[in-house]
Amino acid sequence: MIGAAIRRLSLRGLTVGVLALFLIATVATGISILTANRVTVARAVDRRIAVVADLVLERDAGETRLPTPLLLTRIAALSGQRDTGDIGLLLLGADNQRLGGNIAPRFTLPMGWSDLRRRDGIIGLSHGRALVRDAGEGRRLAVVAETEPFDSYRAARTRIYLIGFGSIILIVIGGVVAFSMLVGRRIGDQRATVEAIIAGDIRHRVPVSGSDDEFDRQAAAFNRMLDRIAELMEAMRGQSNDIAHDLRTPLSRLRGQLAHMVADARDPVQAERASAALAQCDALLAMFAALLRIAEIETRQRQAGFARFDLSTLVRDTASMMIPVAEDAGRRLGVDVNIVVPDFTGDRQLLTQALVNLIGNAIKYGGDTITVSLDASEEGVSLHVVDNGPGIAPEDRSQALRRFGRLDTAREAAGGHGLGLPLVEAIARLHRGRLTLGDAAPGLGVSLILPRR
Amino acid sequence: MSLHLLLVEDDATYAHGLAADLIGLGHRVEHVFDGRLALAAIDREQYDAVILDRMMPRLDGLSVVEMLRASGITVPIVMLTALSMASDKVDGLEAGADDYVVKPVDPHELIARVQAVIRGRRWTASESDTIRAGDIVVSPISFRAWRAGQPITLANLELKLLAELARHAGEVLTRAMLIERVWGYDFEPETNIVDVYIRRLRMKLTEQGGADPIETVRGIGYSLKP
Repeated sequence: MIGAAIRRLSLRGLTVGVLALFLIATVATGISILTANRVTVARAVDRRIAVVADLVLERDAGETRLPTPLLLTRIAALSGQRDTGDIGLLLLGADNQRLGGNIAPRFTLPMGWSDLRRRDGIIGLSHGRALVRDAGEGRRLAVVAETEPFDSYRAARTRIYLIGFGSIILIVIGGVVAFSMLVGRRIGDQRATVEAIIAGDIRHRVPVSGSDDEFDRQAAAFNRMLDRIAELMEAMRGQSNDIAHDLRTPLSRLRGQLAHMVADARDPVQAERASAALAQCDALLAMFAALLRIAEIETRQRQAGFARFDLSTLVRDTASMMIPVAEDAGRRLGVDVNIVVPDFTGDRQLLTQALVNLIGNAIKYGGDTITVSLDASEEGVSLHVVDNGPGIAPEDRSQALRRFGRLDTAREAAGGHGLGLPLVEAIARLHRGRLTLGDAAPGLGVSLILPRR
Repeated sequence: MSLHLLLVEDDATYAHGLAADLIGLGHRVEHVFDGRLALAAIDREQYDAVILDRMMPRLDGLSVVEMLRASGITVPIVMLTALSMASDKVDGLEAGADDYVVKPVDPHELIARVQAVIRGRRWTASESDTIRAGDIVVSPISFRAWRAGQPITLANLELKLLAELARHAGEVLTRAMLIERVWGYDFEPETNIVDVYIRRLRMKLTEQGGADPIETVRGIGYSLKP
C-alpha cells in the first residue's frame, strides 16, 4: 500500500513533500533547542537567586530576628564579592520605603518569582528573573539577576540560529532542487528519444553521459532495446522486400505470357479468354501494389519525410482537380473549404492519395452530388467527403474498413480490390488521426480527422 | 528509332519474354543475368540505354548504378524492379538511375520511359522557352497556349499536360508517366483522371476547328502529333 502510494507520487510531489517535511523538522528542532536553552538558563539563574536570598536571610541558631543593619551589611558584602557582584539586591521597609541595596526598580516587584524586562528600569538589565521574599517585620528582600550572560545576547542568539539553521535549509533545498532537475533532465532525454522515435526516426538514441550511473545504465538498456527493435524492423523490411520480389517477379512473368497470348491469339474466343485472364492478373497486381503501399505506410518510415504545407490549399486544389472527373461520370462535386490551415505537418502525397481515393469512391459508389469540405474540429481538422448515394448500413461500416472487406451488392459489381478505405485509414493513422464512416442521410459521409501539431 | 538496349535481369523467363517484346517493337536487345556481367558488357559495348533489375545475385542493381556513375559512365539507366516503396525509388534515383519503374511493366511503357530518358538527355532548352508541336505553341512560363495562332484558354493542369505532351511530341506518354510528371503524384489513382483531362484538352484544342492533335495509343497512353 505504501509502495503503491510512493509509485503514485510524482517527482515534483516527492520533492515538495520531502522539502516540506525537512523544513518542519528543522524549524521544530530550532524552536526546541531555543526553548530548552532558555528554560535551562532560567533555572540556573533561579537557583543562584535563591542561594543569594538564603545567604542574606540566613539566621544563626537561636536568632529570632534579623536587624536591618545586619541585612544591609550582608547586602553590601555580597555586592562587593566577585561571584555575586552582578546580582541586584533591594531591601524595602514595611511602608515600601527603600532601606538599602544596589538597584532601584521603577515598579514594585511582586512577592515570589517574576520575570524582568528592560521596562522595569533596572540599569544594565534587559532580561532577568526576580525573587521577592519576606524578610520579617514587614520588610521585603528583592533579589534580581540577568538571564543574559552578556548584552544583546538574544539578538546574537537569533543571528546564530538563523545563520546555522538557515544555511542547512538552503543547502538541502539547493540539493533537492538540483537533484530533481537532474533526474527530470535525464528522464526528459529519454522522453525526447521516445518522441523522436514515435515521429519516425528509429535511429534516435538516449544520450549517455559516461558516468555509468543508474541513468546511464537505464539509457544503455533502453538503447539496446531500440537497436533490437531497429534490427527487427530492418528484418521485416527485408522480408517485405523478399515478398515483393518473390511475388512480383512470377506475377510479372505471368502477365508477360498472358500479354503474348492476347497478341498471338488466332480466334476471337481465345483472345477474349486471354484478355480476361490478363485483366485478372492486372487486378491481382493492383491489389498487391495496394497491400505493399499499406505496408509501407505502416512502417511509418514516411513520417521522417513529413513536411509543413497548407492543407486547405491541398484540399481545395485536389478536390477541384477531381471536379472534371466527377462531371465526366455525371456527378456534381462541390468544394467547401471553410478554414485556413497554413501549417499542417504531414505527407502531401499520402493525403492527396487519401482524398483522391475518397472522392473516387464517392464517384464510383455514391449518388449524383458529392461535397468535399474541410472544417476545424476539437481534435484538429476534419476532412469530409459526403455523397447522397445509398450509403453504407451502420452494421456494415466496420466491414468496409477491414482489408478485403468489400461489401457485396453494388460495390462488388463495381470492381476494386477492397483496399481503398483501409489504405486511407492507414494514412489517417500515420498522421495520428482516424477515419470514420457516418450516415449523411441519405448517403455516406466519410470523415478524415487529423490532429494539428 | 531503333534502340540498342542492355537488359539486366536474373529471372530467365521474365527476361526472355520482355526481350522478345522489346525486339518485337523493333529494338536490339542484349540480355545478361547479373550485375557483374552487366558491368563487363557496358565496358565492351555502347548502349543507348540499360534496363536494370534491382534484386540480383552477385552484384545488385543499386551497386551497378553507383559503380557506373562513380566511374563517369553516363549511359541512361532505367531501373526495373519489384521494390515499390517511395524510399526504394529515392534510393534508386539517388544512386544515379534516370528512371525507376516497378515490375511488371508493359513493354510499350518501358520503351516510352527509355525514350523519354534519352530524349531528356538531349533536351537542352530551358523551361522558359516556348514549346512547339505542329501548329501548337505552349509557354509554360506565361501559362499560355496557342493553336494556329489562336489563343486557347486552358486551366493550369491542362496547360501542364499540353506542355508535357508537346515537349515529347511524337512519343508515347503513358498514363503512369503523365500522373507522375503532370500531377506530381507518387501513386496511381484508381480513377481515370488522365483520360478525363485528355478529353477536355482535346475539346479545347479542336473548339476552333482543326484535326485532333492528340493520338490515343490503345492500352498504352497518348501522343501529341509533332
